[in-house]
Amino acid sequence: MATITATINLTSPDITGDPLNLSKTSVLNKAATATGLDQFTGITTVVYAAAQTARCIVLADDASGLSGYADTSVAHKVYIKNSSTGSSDFVTVELGGSNIIMGRLYPGDWCFFPYDGTLDVDIDTSAANMKVEYAVFSQSTAS
Amino acid sequence: MATTTATLILSSADVTGHNFSMTQTATLTKAASSTGLDEFTGITSRTYAGAQANTIIIAKGDYVDTTVSHKVYIRNTSTGNSDYILVELEDDVIVGRLYPGDWMFIPYLGVLNVEVTTIATNVSIEYGVFSQSTVS
Repeated sequence: MATITATINLTSPDITGDPLNLSKTSVLNKAATATGLDQFTGITTVVYAAAQTARCIVLADDASGLSGYADTSVAHKVYIKNSSTGSSDFVTVELGGSNIIMGRLYPGDWCFFPYDGTLDVDIDTSAANMKVEYAVFSQSTAS
Repeated sequence: MATTTATLILSSADVTGHNFSMTQTATLTKAASSTGLDEFTGITSRTYAGAQANTIIIAKGDYVDTTVSHKVYIRNTSTGNSDYILVELEDDVIVGRLYPGDWMFIPYLGVLNVEVTTIATNVSIEYGVFSQSTVS
């Protein structure tokens, strides 16, 4: 199986009275194992000509079995970035059919979060010509 | 205002047919602005003696909402490989499971609580919120 690492560095010289310098690295494994995640979508880059509403970028497992991801006992990870320029054109990240809002990614912002494969991940974009990149690291049902 | 950066490094020698390595750095600014986020909770570390069910770790009432650019960091600091933390938005909207060592970094709108559920005793977690005040 593959070995994938994800590192986050959070730094600031002045957001507190002392410098912040946090660095954490995770090895991306299948749920409750030391076996690495074995599937990757690659990094998808899309430029949307028009503003998008509830655009599905990660499709949850569906009844047809034709698409989506293994669900529930999984350790999938999702990456999304607003690759637009400027400062005002935001991407709204949403979960599920009711489009529950997680938050907004302004230009340059990225997010990385666990995904259990039961809810679609959708985005709204606030303007035309916005560039978004996204990817999923996931686990197959192979042992 | 403060200058805070968040860098993501993803790498693998073998998840595809070639080496994969990606680095992305974001400067954390207020919504639609080049002004840096100006509030930070610090990194909170907790070890839960008992299993938790929908324990609120980030309360929506503590933050400005809607047109905001808050960020949330959460990490499962437990050892082993099985004791996961289920991260949810209010009303059981499941984001996903953080297994030991896993971390997440997400944007936060401030309109829903962020909650965690654990299945075991002595699960450890750390979390922090970078947020924006209403000061311009």
